[in-house]
Amino acid sequence: MRSIADVVGASGLSGYAIVALILFFLAFLAVLAAVLSPARSSYYERAGRLPLDDLTPQTPREP
Amino acid sequence: MNARLDSFSYDDAIVRKFLFATIIFGLVGMLVGLIIAVQLAYPAANFGPIFAFGRLRPLHTNAVVFAFAGNAWFCGAYYATQRLLKTRMWSDKLSNFHFWGWQAIIVAAAITLPLGYTQAKEYAELEWPIDVAILIVWVAFAVNYFVTLTKRRERHIYVAIWFFIASIITVAVLHIFNNLAIPVGPLKSYSIYAGVQDAFMQWWYGHNAVAFFLTTPFLGLMYYFLPKAADRPVFSYKLSILHFWSLVFLYIWAGPHHLHYTALPDWASTLGMVFSVMLIAPSWGGMINGLLTLRGAWHKVVEEPVLKFFVLAVTAYGMSTFEGPVLSIKTVNGLAHYTDWIIAHVHTGALGWNGFLTFGMIYWLAPRLFQAPLFSKKLAETHFWVSTFGILLYVASIYSAGITQGLMWRAFDETGRLQFPDFIETTMRLMPMYWVRVAGGTLYLAGTVIFIYNIVMTWKRRPAAYDVPVVTAAPLDLSTPEPHAPAGTGVYARFVGLGWHRRWEGMPLFFSVMVLVAVAVASLFEIIPTFLIKSNVPTIASVKPYTPLELAGRDLYIREGCFNCHSQMIRPFRFETERYGDYSKPGESVYDHPFLWGSRRIGPDLAREGGKYPALWHVRHMENPRSISPKSIMPSYPFLLTNRTDFDGIQKRVDAMAMLGVPYGDAINHANQMARDQAALVAADIEKNGGPAGLADKEITALVAYLERLGTDIRQPAATAAAPAATAAATTPAPLKAGGN
Repeated sequence: MRSIADVVGASGLSGYAIVALILFFLAFLAVLAAVLSPARSSYYERAGRLPLDDLTPQTPREP
Repeated sequence: MNARLDSFSYDDAIVRKFLFATIIFGLVGMLVGLIIAVQLAYPAANFGPIFAFGRLRPLHTNAVVFAFAGNAWFCGAYYATQRLLKTRMWSDKLSNFHFWGWQAIIVAAAITLPLGYTQAKEYAELEWPIDVAILIVWVAFAVNYFVTLTKRRERHIYVAIWFFIASIITVAVLHIFNNLAIPVGPLKSYSIYAGVQDAFMQWWYGHNAVAFFLTTPFLGLMYYFLPKAADRPVFSYKLSILHFWSLVFLYIWAGPHHLHYTALPDWASTLGMVFSVMLIAPSWGGMINGLLTLRGAWHKVVEEPVLKFFVLAVTAYGMSTFEGPVLSIKTVNGLAHYTDWIIAHVHTGALGWNGFLTFGMIYWLAPRLFQAPLFSKKLAETHFWVSTFGILLYVASIYSAGITQGLMWRAFDETGRLQFPDFIETTMRLMPMYWVRVAGGTLYLAGTVIFIYNIVMTWKRRPAAYDVPVVTAAPLDLSTPEPHAPAGTGVYARFVGLGWHRRWEGMPLFFSVMVLVAVAVASLFEIIPTFLIKSNVPTIASVKPYTPLELAGRDLYIREGCFNCHSQMIRPFRFETERYGDYSKPGESVYDHPFLWGSRRIGPDLAREGGKYPALWHVRHMENPRSISPKSIMPSYPFLLTNRTDFDGIQKRVDAMAMLGVPYGDAINHANQMARDQAALVAADIEKNGGPAGLADKEITALVAYLERLGTDIRQPAATAAAPAATAAATTPAPLKAGGN
């Protein structure tokens, strides 16, 4: 009886890691595009100020 | 709008506890590091079995990684998380269980590692009962953390929290899968993986332990404490999104770069290299984000020691994360692997990034937690400069040592022979640099002592009772949609608008699941082919399981931590095969639970040690290495000549190996007697050649049997290969004197 290693070994799966590399690289480029595109900077300024006030919530009641 | 207001206070008592644990275990870990640095330069500083380099080295790494850096992470995370979420930790009991449980684990490690109980996997040395305890404590920490997330009063979770979430989840995944083992006693187990697969799992774990224990949690601390200390928001919140997701996606793939030119399949090695090189982008994005947070505030760096520590920490992060990808390039790695270059790289990160970020954080926290001004800013400045100079001495000397030794190993003379055929010659060249390292380590430790004095004196100024401020905030109302959320029309506009990410930030559990998916998918893409494709590990018919006595000897090799200094993996380079013999094949380690390829050559490779020397040579060498090689820096192991072999325990070990699929045949029933028979043969050979008598029941005999077996199977003729595996393995004594000197 053939083991699962034989079956999978015959299917040439090692190449799929390379496919994954390309997919992950594309995902990286997509996030990069999102980050570099102009967006609502005020939104992120507020988020960036979260650590500066220990006592008052910054975002539950935004204007 | 919800008009109700909640009143609550933050739990700073737990933060103070972790702070003290950080400084205590930091001192211990660094002191042990200094001791082992001295042992390398001055081998007489190895004392007995317990205080020898092989046993203390894992104590040093575990102490600085899990005790010092771990407690620092928890200290900062408990402080930052409560304030970022505007809530107290969900359960004080679980917080305290986490604290005391973690400290108990550290104490257990500090006792068991010097006693020789180890799984022989770097940063995962602790034996199975401690691993189970780690899992329990980690689950308690995670439950407390994630329930606290659901109780928050802040809609969005700040970037620091993302890093903490990713760290908690990924460390759990790494810990569970790398530590799967079959117990064979209260403090002994065998990894369920063997050879190539075990190496792959170990470095998937090992690299990501660095990533998710020493990098991502400290990035979380950086994103919180650097803006606090500079009193200005992080330079680019959007850049932090890129930083976070890129690290989570990419880091998990990079482990195989620790195994370049080994018996790991080439495709996995190449993949690890490519992802490692890609890591430079997000890492430097993070460094730039940290440093530019200080834009317009650089004058504060001159005045504030806290910011000085942070600036050096972030700079060290940038240097390490530039060097890491460079070292992952195969050709560079060919020179650097097994040398001190890797040790220098690690210490740039550990001393600079983790150490200085921790110091800066605690200098900032101490006055707030102890509600008293810092005892001495001047001492903090002194600490900064003393320790900075210590780092410079350390890394400069050890970089030099690594590159020097790497070049000497590969040097050929004009006749085409190795220029430095005697390994000890390359070791001796490093001695001046090892002493400079001792000086650098001493300075760094001196800085830490100054730091501890300063913090303790600050603590002494605390009030009789701590003031506990009451915070008032409205509960979080998620029923109303967030106004002004970024939006857009069309798929692309919506994607780049990052509104989806803002929604994720408001859904911490969903966010955590996405992190888990990213980590798991990336891991499985690499792990499944390695485990399932048979061609990755071509079997070699002549490779047989270790005999029961050799298995016992192998366990002694593990107990003494020999793998910390000796590799068992010859790379396919001419300079390696000339020095050590034929390069190592994946099929040679199919019965190695755990694998013992090693990562550093303080001594020579032992993959083909079998048959190189007579058994008596090994006895003399282990008893006192300097009687054979006067300049050797190896510790002495005279106790192996008097300690009795635990023959009665061998059967259980053979049975466990058989359970893991090692074809032991008859040995399953007669391991004890077979071990005694082989030991008698080895002892007789030693005595016949003029060695001491009566060693048949001593540990040295088992260890010699193991060493004499190493790398010899592949030289066996095909006829032996055709013999039934179990019979051959169980009855053939080790080749006692196959070769000459």
